[in-house]
Amino acid sequence: MKSLSSFTRKLAIAGLVSVAFAGSAVGADKKYEGITLTLASQNDQFAAVLAAIAPKFTEETGATVKVDILDYGSLLTKTTTDFVGGTGGYDLVTMDIVWAGQYAENKYTVDLTEWMKRDAAELKLDDIYPTLLNALGHWGDKQVAFPFAGYANVLAYRKDLFDAAGLKAPTTMEEMVEAAYKLTDPSKNIYGFVANGQKGPAVAQDWMQYNTEMGGSILGPDGKPALNSEANIKSLTVYKDLFMKAAPPGAVNYDWGGREESFRQGIAATMQTWSVGAPGYYDPSISKIVDKVAITTAPRGAGLPKVYGIGGWGMAINAGIKDTQKEAAWAFIKWLVSPPVHKEFNMMGAGSFLRKSEMTDPDLLKKFPFLPVIAETFEHGDGEYRPRIPQYPEIQDLLGTAVNDVLVGNADPKKALDAAQEAAAKLF
Amino acid sequence: MTLSLTSALRPFPALSVSYVERRRLFFILMTLPAVIYVLVIGVWPLAQGIWFSLYEYNLLKPARTHFVGLGNYIDLLSDTVTRGAFVNTVIFTVGAVTVELLLGFAIALALWRDDRFNRICLALILIPVTITPLVVGLIFRALLLADYGLVGYYLAEFGLSDPRGLFANPSSALATLIFVDIWEWTPLVALILLAGLKALPGDILEASEVDGATALQRLRIIVIPLMLPSILLALTLRTIDAFRIFDSVYVTTGGGPGNATNTLMLHAVKQGLEFFNIGRASAISNLTLICIAVIAAGFILLIRKADRKANGR
Repeated sequence: MKSLSSFTRKLAIAGLVSVAFAGSAVGADKKYEGITLTLASQNDQFAAVLAAIAPKFTEETGATVKVDILDYGSLLTKTTTDFVGGTGGYDLVTMDIVWAGQYAENKYTVDLTEWMKRDAAELKLDDIYPTLLNALGHWGDKQVAFPFAGYANVLAYRKDLFDAAGLKAPTTMEEMVEAAYKLTDPSKNIYGFVANGQKGPAVAQDWMQYNTEMGGSILGPDGKPALNSEANIKSLTVYKDLFMKAAPPGAVNYDWGGREESFRQGIAATMQTWSVGAPGYYDPSISKIVDKVAITTAPRGAGLPKVYGIGGWGMAINAGIKDTQKEAAWAFIKWLVSPPVHKEFNMMGAGSFLRKSEMTDPDLLKKFPFLPVIAETFEHGDGEYRPRIPQYPEIQDLLGTAVNDVLVGNADPKKALDAAQEAAAKLF
Repeated sequence: MTLSLTSALRPFPALSVSYVERRRLFFILMTLPAVIYVLVIGVWPLAQGIWFSLYEYNLLKPARTHFVGLGNYIDLLSDTVTRGAFVNTVIFTVGAVTVELLLGFAIALALWRDDRFNRICLALILIPVTITPLVVGLIFRALLLADYGLVGYYLAEFGLSDPRGLFANPSSALATLIFVDIWEWTPLVALILLAGLKALPGDILEASEVDGATALQRLRIIVIPLMLPSILLALTLRTIDAFRIFDSVYVTTGGGPGNATNTLMLHAVKQGLEFFNIGRASAISNLTLICIAVIAAGFILLIRKADRKANGR
């Protein structure tokens, strides 16, 4: 009895010791156990996927990631006040391409340059498109955010309508405009073109894209605003005509959601858009054009160089948080952009591509056949057509009002852009 | 000895003060929390707002902060966008409050008689007031969109509105917003005026009826003059509220098309929370505050004068 009891005791001790060792081994893996990272995320397609994939990071490292999904305006307001007030409410922030200037100038976020050099091999930087690395977080000599969601500006069009009319996919703006007019038939509720018309960032951003493609530019060679240049006035005139003659009547009210919806519902024949929305056209639960849609590179004005608009989001670390939080936040960024996790992120429908290897990945290609178009766009990407300068929010607002004023017939292009230029000049 | 004993037995010399003084001290102590609350929540932010408005102060450009005196105010008064926002706000306020007052008074008269039908009607018409203006804006936006809106589609189809929708046309957008405000707030005006009607002295009304006064005469000579305090209350509340209109405009038009529905508060919010231009946003808010104070003071003087004339008070 005594020997049995002694044996049991030894067994129990051995068991406890092994459990303790096993526990410490797990503990060693879970380096960030007990840390909670709060992430402020734009309410784009990737947001829900971020929230869904975050628990895997917890499994691997122990750190919990709480994803706070916000609309564009709230994201900018809440994160900026958090940065300015030094309240450290958010550890990680998704950063729009155009905010880099103000982030860098005000030192809101951690400069990742040294960390990126240190962890270059782990990050596999060569596999990331240089344009994305630059545009989605680089400013001056700083890297204020790390890219995680690259968007390509592409042309989505109705292949069936183009085929029926004997038209080829447009490669120039002139061809696109001509096709838009030709395919418009209000009696069949089909319109050749759709774009954002709503006052504010929606119409400003879409017009800036068309403006660049038609040879216009927001800033002059001296880096100062040149909103009322001849080229800009001409492109706004074409844009207005497209809205009047070839767009669904309600398009002047559309923001991104309304524009995408009209295309998925099959009432628009062409639409320039961010690649992030493309997976939705092939989803029968929300799209009526699953077998009719095609995606190609965005058209350019005849004779203009092959440069395509890119946009998207970087992930930034709040400079006002504790060092331990910063380390965990950097670990999360590295984990998210690592090739296997980022592939999984996109397989789950984030529509946020980043790496060259993703463009040739058989699983991703099978699911998203338009990846070569995105690859081509990223290869020749232009992240500067919306000027990434600290004055951008005000310029965007001025253009968002001026262009909308023109679209509703309240002002002519020259008068509206003259007024916007006068106000923009005061900002410099 | 007795005297010194009594003095020694007084534990708190302060309590030796008279009853009147103690009563005064008690009242001061009781009102102190409220005074502190008002100072912290009301006066301090107001003072800070006035102070900020004298600076060029942008949260995104902290290094460029400097004193500009009345520079922000001068800029605003010479700025066409601010002037447009002021005109829009005045049109909106006058249009909405006038209709709300007339319609609210008519509804109050219709529901004056205290019976079950009227009580049910009153409960039903109060539903819009319970919905937050932001949601009301979203509901009307969804209803009036030309492509997908349940009402907007048919209005456009039958040629009753611009094919692009009521919110897309500069000449109909502000009128539509006024309509939305009327829909939401007329019941509140009706409720305030109904309370005023129910408080009217019944004997005077009965006497006038016996004396053969017509309904219109009773309304003009007795009801309206006696109702002046209620009318003043409804008018002041709604004017102040309408002058600060923001939520429903923000979600329906965002101030557009162009600047056709831009209002002072929308302009201030944009300057403050979108561009973080605190100095300019404070100046707009202060201008709005001055306008509201002048309007409210004007109403009070006007109604007091009318009340004195009608009722000798």
